[in-house]
Amino acid sequence: MAPRPPAGASPERLSQWLAGYRPLPGVPDELFDAAGKPRGHWLGFLREFASYPDADSDGRFGMAARHIRDSGASYRIYGEETERSWPLDPLPLIIPQAEWDQIAAGVTQRAELMEAILRDIYGEGRLVNEGVLPAAAITGSPDFLRAMRGVAPPAGRYLQIYAADLGRGPDGRWWVLDDRAQAPSGAGYALENRLVVSRAYPNLYNRLNVHRLAPFFDALRRGMAATADRSEPRICLLTPGPFSQTYFEQAHLARYLGFLLVEGDDLVARDGKVWVRTIAGLKRADVILRRVDADFLDPLELNAASRLGTPGMLEAIRAGGVTVLNMPGSGVLESRALLSFMPGLCRRLLGEELKLPNIATWWCGQAAEQALVEARLDELAVAPAFPGSGHFAEPRLAADLSPQEMAVLRQRLAERPGDFVGQEVAQLSTMPVLRDGQLQPAPFALRVFAAVTPEGVRILPGGFCRTSDRPDARVISMGEGARTADVWVVDDKPVERLSLIASGDEVKVRRILGHLPSRAADNLFWLGRYIERTEATLRLVRALCSSLMDSESSLHGRGQTFESLRRVLVDWGALDGETRPARALDSARDALHDASAWGSVTYLVRSAKRTASGMRERLSADFWGLLVDLEGDLAGGANEIHSEAQALEQVEKALRHLAGLSGLTQENMNRVAGWRFLDMGRRIERGANTCQLARTLAHDAATIDDLDLLLDLNDSQITYRARYLVGLALNAVRDLVMLDPFNTRSVAFQVAALKDHLAVLPTLQEDGILEEPSKILLPLAAELETEDAATLHADKVKTYEAALMRLSNAVADRFFLQGANAVPTVKLVGLA
Amino acid sequence: MKYRLRHRTTYAYEREVSFARCVLRLTPRSSATQTVLESAITVTPEPSARLVRIGPFGAEILTVTVDKPHKALVIEANSRIDVHVPPAGDPDASQPWEVVRTRALNTADLSPDGPASYLFPTVRTPIVPEITEYTRQSFPPGRPIIAAASELNDRINQEFKYDPGATEVSTPVAQAFAARHGVCQDFAQIMICGLRGLGLPVKYVSGYLRTIPPPGQPRLEGADATHAWVAVWCGDAAGWVGFDPTNAILAGNDHLVLAIGRDYADVAPIDGVILASGDQTLKVEVDVIPEEEPTAAHA
Repeated sequence: MAPRPPAGASPERLSQWLAGYRPLPGVPDELFDAAGKPRGHWLGFLREFASYPDADSDGRFGMAARHIRDSGASYRIYGEETERSWPLDPLPLIIPQAEWDQIAAGVTQRAELMEAILRDIYGEGRLVNEGVLPAAAITGSPDFLRAMRGVAPPAGRYLQIYAADLGRGPDGRWWVLDDRAQAPSGAGYALENRLVVSRAYPNLYNRLNVHRLAPFFDALRRGMAATADRSEPRICLLTPGPFSQTYFEQAHLARYLGFLLVEGDDLVARDGKVWVRTIAGLKRADVILRRVDADFLDPLELNAASRLGTPGMLEAIRAGGVTVLNMPGSGVLESRALLSFMPGLCRRLLGEELKLPNIATWWCGQAAEQALVEARLDELAVAPAFPGSGHFAEPRLAADLSPQEMAVLRQRLAERPGDFVGQEVAQLSTMPVLRDGQLQPAPFALRVFAAVTPEGVRILPGGFCRTSDRPDARVISMGEGARTADVWVVDDKPVERLSLIASGDEVKVRRILGHLPSRAADNLFWLGRYIERTEATLRLVRALCSSLMDSESSLHGRGQTFESLRRVLVDWGALDGETRPARALDSARDALHDASAWGSVTYLVRSAKRTASGMRERLSADFWGLLVDLEGDLAGGANEIHSEAQALEQVEKALRHLAGLSGLTQENMNRVAGWRFLDMGRRIERGANTCQLARTLAHDAATIDDLDLLLDLNDSQITYRARYLVGLALNAVRDLVMLDPFNTRSVAFQVAALKDHLAVLPTLQEDGILEEPSKILLPLAAELETEDAATLHADKVKTYEAALMRLSNAVADRFFLQGANAVPTVKLVGLA
Repeated sequence: MKYRLRHRTTYAYEREVSFARCVLRLTPRSSATQTVLESAITVTPEPSARLVRIGPFGAEILTVTVDKPHKALVIEANSRIDVHVPPAGDPDASQPWEVVRTRALNTADLSPDGPASYLFPTVRTPIVPEITEYTRQSFPPGRPIIAAASELNDRINQEFKYDPGATEVSTPVAQAFAARHGVCQDFAQIMICGLRGLGLPVKYVSGYLRTIPPPGQPRLEGADATHAWVAVWCGDAAGWVGFDPTNAILAGNDHLVLAIGRDYADVAPIDGVILASGDQTLKVEVDVIPEEEPTAAHA
């Protein structure tokens, strides 16, 4: 139970909130009814909410919100470098069951209507032929794909997921503001919002009978699986990639639903089917849930400039070899021009009246409507009839236009009337939000999701609610600084606590989940290399600081050790070799923080994080959290180095973070192919680094200091001291660092581990012939097993190092996207 | 007028290519103005798969897959075409252009022959206010559409410089317009932008132009190469009328239509992807040979 507040505090806070709450005149409000009284379901919620001792501070919610930042749940604005943190309001939008039933019925009807419209447009075309819809109301949409006319959807349906943006109008009814049929986003955000809010207020969430979201997603998954022609289909979520505005949401959904997150490059269309490139070769992709707009899906047939698609995808769809959802071309439904035809289309196609009205809309492509809009220009909003058409990107009010803009608009409207719609300016109803501890009304829009499941169309009981800080909000875009809120559908009776535990008969036990996609293997491998290189660089900086601090080392000449270290750091790109800092300490600081040096710790950590961000669905939240912390700590420490001790402290802290990452990969990552690639990356990097350090510090003329330093950097001091009582000897150190198969830090140990990995990874052909990586690795392993420390000169060590680098390339060629099994595709050029 | 047509494209690669997939829009289509008597496409090396379908604009599209290693890809399209464009009617008797605009917005024809598909801007043919303004000068209220479009066709020919070196296939239309130069593709796209800016339906037409060098007259530009012009929908009665702004003429029996679309992207003869890492070079040869005349132009 949450700690109860002192008696009296909560009612006081509640009455203060309610007293300060001022709904906008003439605009319906969710909290206050028309008579100015708070509605029962909201009051019940707020009473409980106010009883949290820190309800009006950021404390509790801030903690939950911080979890979001740590789990990386932020969204990216196009073209923006840094991620923005997620603006989530603490108060959910509360909708009582009875009202929700009406919304759900309305959205279900609309989803069926949308399906019927698509079936006609891309099929028989009767709506146009019989004059119900003008042809231009369809052809104006850039998402009308002529190439899809006459192509039956492989699974029999065009839409898998449909979403409607709803708002409550001045008359108190819910209105449809927009249709989302191309690749609706936001369901993943709804999931994440629920996670945070239910985590912040667990008791409240459990006491009110809030409908759970999980059953919807389970049904969605079953619905998608049912569209395939195999019993255990491979389902992919096709993403535009990490630079997409909603990439996080896509990664989150893919992980939650157990879909493979793929980019266009990961897929190959051959023989009328679509395949995923995996480390075991091409594997069939049965069902693709796309988040790539249709125009970019296939550079051969659609937008030839697209880098996001897969050449030949449309042909595979036509051949029925892959189910792509929503069917390419579905985006045509998002045109505002169609809104004005919806009531008639609903009557015609479903024989019913629309259960949820549209916002009143007039398409100017028809003479009478054009005349009406021109006559009422002062009171209507003018909006693009089709995505990207017309004069303005977003709806505009004539009142907001300058006389010049107005003149241009009138001319455009006269010359290209089909590009515009006029829309009634409806103010959206407001809901309470907390701002600076005060309860305030904010306009909101609600996105409601429908999915096709084996049991028919099903509605997510909740949704993605966006609130605006502008009181006159009509259209809300995430890009305009709007915030989001969870949506609670509250029943008067206890809701079914459906958990996702399936009954024993339905689940076939398995231990390995399909084949690792090549891109994921690539990212994991490089993540391993970056992490290992970061650790090695930190050890170098630590040694550098120690050599400055340790007075004893001056006996052997600390200047020389310092120079050796500096040279390696320059070699590794952590320090600029040209300029020599005035103070020795500056070298340590630069190696840690100089973001312009490609080998600095900061640069390496950022590279690791960037690589990890491209496969977030494969990493645990803890792993990601540690990477975020590591980057954050480093960024915070840049100006905090005034002494060797301070530098050392930062290094130690970073090394502890890395130890945490290693612990997580060793203890918490399944021993499947993904882990092997992460570990191979680490082992190759560690082996090569050790070779370089050994030939720099354990050459034939090495000093005691050099050997001592090498043991430090190799983390082998304790092992050595335990094994040898005589002090440092060249051959003994060489053997321990290079050849000793029992020392987990030796090169031989890394190579042995690599051998184990390659032995169990799949081969492309079962002809018993070794693949290239093994051809490089096996001789190296044999040499290290039989080598003698006494003859282990620097040039020989260098050949080992070179072999490891060749191995890295061979692994990339064999397993990754840029490898020989998948030479990059080049567009044929020229005006032929 | 009957023609024999050969369109040969050769890609030469620096390094061996292991796989190629190409979409070929190289099969001319019969229409009211021409009849395709024969047509065939050969590809070397021999494709492992050939797939024919009817494309989004009504023409046959051939998709080929070549999966044997090769250093050159040769695509040759051969056809015989009978062109029979009816004589143009009296331009001043055509419908007022505003009437055509209103009519086009309300047709009940979603097919590639109806005007609705050609009313809206595309990536290559956006609405450019300067081009709309330029076009507007030939379109005073109530003017018959063929007369107005003919004047625009002549103005582009007179006020723009034909300069094969000035633009590339990717040059934005606004840039070619501002510089007042370009080649057939630029002029066609400028005319398209201008007419669509006024809400009129207009097609991009790709094809070939017969070479006729009569004594004492300049040789027609665009001969023995692929050519581009436009077709304007002039109302239900007049239908589609071809205008060739590069030569300031109506498209007639010397214009062989290969493909139609909203802009070049819809008619690009070859779109393809290859698995390759080296450079490539491209050579295009076109022969348009009138069957009645023994002396043929050569590309």
